[in-house]
Amino acid sequence: MDVPETVRTALEDRPVEGAVCLEAGAGVGNTTAGLLEAGARRVYAVTNDSEHAGTVRERVGVSDPDRVIVVEADLRATPLPDDSVDVVTAHGLFNVVPTAILPEIAAELARVATPGAHLVVDDYDPLPDGAAMRDLFAVENAAAELADGAPTLTFYPAEMLRRLFAGYGWTFDCERTLLQPVPWTESHVAAHAELARESAASLPADLAEPLTTEIDRLVDDIGSESAGRMYSLAFRLGRET
Amino acid sequence: METRPLGETGHDSTVMTFGAIALNWLEQEGANQMVEAVLDAGVNHFDVAPTYGDAELKLGPKLRQHREEIFLGCKTGERDYEGARHKLERSLNRLGVDAIDLYQVHGLETQDELDQITSDGGALDAFREARDDGTVEHLGLTSHGDPDLIIDAIDRIDDLETVMFPLNPVVVAKDDGEHDYEAVVERANEEGIGTLVIKGFARGPWPDTDELPEEDRPYANWYHPVDRPDEIRERFAFAASQDVTSVINPGDPKLVSMVLDAAERFEGMDEAAQRSVVESARHDDSPVPQQLHH
Repeated sequence: MDVPETVRTALEDRPVEGAVCLEAGAGVGNTTAGLLEAGARRVYAVTNDSEHAGTVRERVGVSDPDRVIVVEADLRATPLPDDSVDVVTAHGLFNVVPTAILPEIAAELARVATPGAHLVVDDYDPLPDGAAMRDLFAVENAAAELADGAPTLTFYPAEMLRRLFAGYGWTFDCERTLLQPVPWTESHVAAHAELARESAASLPADLAEPLTTEIDRLVDDIGSESAGRMYSLAFRLGRET
Repeated sequence: METRPLGETGHDSTVMTFGAIALNWLEQEGANQMVEAVLDAGVNHFDVAPTYGDAELKLGPKLRQHREEIFLGCKTGERDYEGARHKLERSLNRLGVDAIDLYQVHGLETQDELDQITSDGGALDAFREARDDGTVEHLGLTSHGDPDLIIDAIDRIDDLETVMFPLNPVVVAKDDGEHDYEAVVERANEEGIGTLVIKGFARGPWPDTDELPEEDRPYANWYHPVDRPDEIRERFAFAASQDVTSVINPGDPKLVSMVLDAAERFEGMDEAAQRSVVESARHDDSPVPQQLHH
């Protein structure tokens, strides 16, 4: 499987070789694949989405069943013991984590990590003013708020996640830019529009209709867009040495 | 326009090389104008081949007029001594010049061909003979083939001075050995060999001929090129930022002026922006599984 350059860049100077790793929010397995490529001894690919769990097993787990353990669990309470993981990664995770549960996940990641463990957090800064993708994300969030009472997406500034993790015992190491601009391709636009339509579909018709109309309009209007920044933050668990 | 050393040839090539195949689709007057435009933009490295229709003939007049300003690359697909010697003479005649600066083995595809050109009585014997008598100055090789084959050729041909091969975000996004042209760049740079990039502007293959008959394709390229000015600029900047010497325009003459503009305006591309280009290509290529993130 091809490992995205973003993942490879984020991991390139981290001591993954021989390490026990936890990929928090396994997605479709891109970071798990990157950790395996970098020589991880074992990767716990944790996700609360059973479809994603299946995708990771299929794309990455099949070729390396001894090194990949797909764990279907809530990141606020994983079945992993204390002090058991050397490298924790969260690639594109926190933008799908609502603010209310951010502290619990940060605490859980610190709990399972060994003293001196490494943490890599890759995410997106809030999109700049004028980016058309902001409008699509706004509609996606509006529909999700109405349907589920929580937004689908929250873009946390790098500085904010840096300070959050510092509060849970992680010492900041370095920050780098993975993508600038961020290429929101037609397939990203389509995927986000699909999620927004799903949320809208569960609403009463008088709410769903204008949302769906706006989603369709935005998809046509945006096509694809390059905007914003994806960053990577690296930390060590424990006091500065 | 920025120039870079072409390996250890002693020549500094512009960051854009003019692929004179574009002249094949123009009448002589249009071809003359295009060569003037290319020279006005500052391009000093031209590339042509006898297999590009009438391109050699149409390049001839302006090439002769501006011979001193142009570092001329030509090629032959012949693999044996006699064939290569004959084709070189034919190219010199058609171009109307006494010497070619860079003569290249054209389109190496297989290990058998590599064996053939390097054996006694192989094409490289003709290349070296021509170098000794002054009709050719430098030796090169071009290939769309397996990166391993190109690296093998670098190892086996001691006097090889340039290689020409595909490089674009679509192949950079793929990790398998079959697409690892970055390894060619690395080895060529270790050996002081000049690197010339083709297919930098390929968007992908054309649709099936059922869907789009060959005669209805909007461009003369055998692949579907990017064709918007911003895409051309992005692709040029990406290719020119891969530690290579020079990037060749796509063959269709309609795209040449956009590439010239991109080359004149080129000021480098930082790594985050390069990853951004690779990332979009990765998703273009594989819409499944559905991905929200990068």
